[in-house]
Amino acid sequence: MRADGTAPGRPAPDGQDAREQLRRCARDVVDVAEGIRAVSERTSTVLFAPALAAAARRRPRAGLAARWALLRALTNKQGLGGSAITAPRGMGHVLGAAGEVLGRENLAALVAVTSLRLRIAAVLVDHPEFVRDPGMRRLTEAVTADKDLAAVRSLRALFRDQGAQRALSGLAPLMAELLAIRALLDEDPKNDETGWALATGRELSADPVHGISAAHLAGMDKGEGAAEAVDLTDQERQVIAPKGSFLGFLRNIEMLSTDGRILLQNVRGPDGVVRYVLQAPGMAPGRPRNDSPQDFVGAWRNLFMTDSPYTRSILLALADYGIPRGADLALIGHSEGGIAVMNLAQNEEFCRTYRVTHVIAVGSPVDTKKPADPRTWVASITNQHDIVPVLDGRGAGSAFDPHPNWYEVDYTGPTHEFPLCHMLREYIEHLRTVIPEARERVDEALTPYRGPVVRTQAYQLKDRANPPEGYPFLTLPTTSLPTTAGPIDVPVRYYDSSAAHLCYPVDADTARGLLPDVTWMTPSRAARRAMAVLSLYEHRCTTIGPYTEIALSVLVDDLWRPRPYDVAADLLRRVDLRRTGRHVLSLGVTSEEARVVAQEIWGQPALRVTAEADLMGREIGVRSPDLGLAVDGRLGRGMRCPEADWILYGRRGESTIRTLVRAHGRLRLHTGAGVRLRLDTAAAEPFAGQLRRLGIDTARPRFVLTCPQFMLHRSAGAVLPR
Amino acid sequence: MVTESPDITSYDTQLLDRVEELRSDAGLMEEYARRLRSTAATLDGCPAAPEWSRPALERQAAACATAAEQLRTAAEGLFALARARD
Repeated sequence: MRADGTAPGRPAPDGQDAREQLRRCARDVVDVAEGIRAVSERTSTVLFAPALAAAARRRPRAGLAARWALLRALTNKQGLGGSAITAPRGMGHVLGAAGEVLGRENLAALVAVTSLRLRIAAVLVDHPEFVRDPGMRRLTEAVTADKDLAAVRSLRALFRDQGAQRALSGLAPLMAELLAIRALLDEDPKNDETGWALATGRELSADPVHGISAAHLAGMDKGEGAAEAVDLTDQERQVIAPKGSFLGFLRNIEMLSTDGRILLQNVRGPDGVVRYVLQAPGMAPGRPRNDSPQDFVGAWRNLFMTDSPYTRSILLALADYGIPRGADLALIGHSEGGIAVMNLAQNEEFCRTYRVTHVIAVGSPVDTKKPADPRTWVASITNQHDIVPVLDGRGAGSAFDPHPNWYEVDYTGPTHEFPLCHMLREYIEHLRTVIPEARERVDEALTPYRGPVVRTQAYQLKDRANPPEGYPFLTLPTTSLPTTAGPIDVPVRYYDSSAAHLCYPVDADTARGLLPDVTWMTPSRAARRAMAVLSLYEHRCTTIGPYTEIALSVLVDDLWRPRPYDVAADLLRRVDLRRTGRHVLSLGVTSEEARVVAQEIWGQPALRVTAEADLMGREIGVRSPDLGLAVDGRLGRGMRCPEADWILYGRRGESTIRTLVRAHGRLRLHTGAGVRLRLDTAAAEPFAGQLRRLGIDTARPRFVLTCPQFMLHRSAGAVLPR
Repeated sequence: MVTESPDITSYDTQLLDRVEELRSDAGLMEEYARRLRSTAATLDGCPAAPEWSRPALERQAAACATAAEQLRTAAEGLFALARARD
């Protein structure tokens, strides 16, 4: 059921008919696919039946003919197809998996994919812009063409396009279909069940991207939960809606932000009865996990399991608040909060204790859930471009409606960019201006709660068993420093990064010529050569946002008392006692915040550039069109090295800035034979000229230090009187 | 010490059950072929249907028909095995 039969921005009834027809056909086709799959399974069972084996032993010639006929039926590309052999274990399992790994798709999977492609076609009726979007076209082609690597690359390219957001939200209406096709067609037999669940509209028990079981995820989220009553600030108290209404409750949730608080209220209804309203916010997008249960792992767990620290904490808050048994209770949540309240409504014991009259989820993936009390009125409001509600695998293209009795509004809002379109503020605005009829309908349903608010209490939820993200390495005292981009907490913490340091022996005099024009800064020498390092970083999660970094530096001696072999001696010292370091000659970063921090806090000559890096695998690749620089290569196995903490030097005015960099990860040392740097620019500065002068543009690195995944933190720069 | 040998006739009965299953599955596959062709025909009249949809469904319907034939052949092979004399 939709708000008004058609969502805003939808095409005329003709388009709707075509869409419905495509979805009906998709449903018919996926039914056939399931049937074919069952036939394949039964035929596989016959092939490996003990009765057949026993009979074939007694009558080998007839046995061979029978087995051959069965094998042919199961493997013929013109029939049931390549990997139609399905068996949970033993030889049948090996044969089936081998067929899949060899890329021979079975007929059932191909028919299921046809159904999914029809669902995509139905979505395209509403979103013709996807056909024109080159990135989306590339991705759709890659996904349907069973090119796993190409799909991953396309995804990465899309994610980097305008910081991932437009691409992600663009994908949202098609996400479930694309993931299902990938799962059915890729070489990994483990995620097939997920693909089938997505294709046939069954309940998911696994992460749709990787097919990871929810039970496995649950192991990562073991907090016992806790709730503590907290006071609202004066400013917050002024924002609290004095009267119960749908938008009022949503504004309360927005006011709570995503800092781990929930709100409980008593409202006196028009009939004079006091009822209770629980308001639960969602997870904080993009922020690392903290001690609150409103985190990403919590969200995943909430999605697939009914019990999580979030729901346990809410139960504790409700118990503390003192809601009488049997009282009417409305549960309203946004994002993860919506999943958590739906989990509560699924709990039979909870529904016996309180009468859950309403559950309203905004921007939440709740399709796989069902309240324990059939009388509970459920509403789900989702923006088609919001990626979060698609996490349960039911996107806009879904041919299935698992809850015909729910009030569901899946509209196309004007905001397409994620996470903006997932923000509650946007949903509130859309309910006011784009889908006012949905707001009126929900308000009508909430009539018993539309009276004065007589009591309000906020609770801080805690997830005590979860250590903070990066604990203990990144659990540091921080201090805030002012910059032109706003206050920045230092040390800057990097929760998830990859790096490759390409080390080149270079002419010492040339390196000296690129250093600041001071007598006391000299490049470190080994066998009369200096060492230049081209550092490539892919920072996926940091306290200043994700960015890519390319830095050119030269190893320099102690600024006061340079001695031969300083570098070698320093390797034996603790990093904070080292005197040598790397002077950063040029730095390119892809975000403005990173540029400001590098320039203003670390004194490094930073430029904002476009760049993309892929440093997680053996094949490394970094491209920066702005710098005209590309690095590609394949690394060998390499050998483990001790962790590389560094000192970085920069310049601010007449002073040198010393920055301590501490890293935690598995560093490996490789030969540089397989790695090549290419310069496609005639420009002289900033990078290209320095690289040419150092001779790096034509040389191979002597060795490469890599770390596919690690954490690091960079301190505030200490100003040295040098 | 006495060792019991498996009941040979029970194996043959099981095989005959499998033969019936394969024959009925062959019938199902023919039915699926028919359904896919009918979906292809429905999509023919749908303006939003992608161009690839009809040929893809026809191809898959043909594969269903082939699979039905091969399942029947496999059923005959199994039947012959169950009836063959030692």
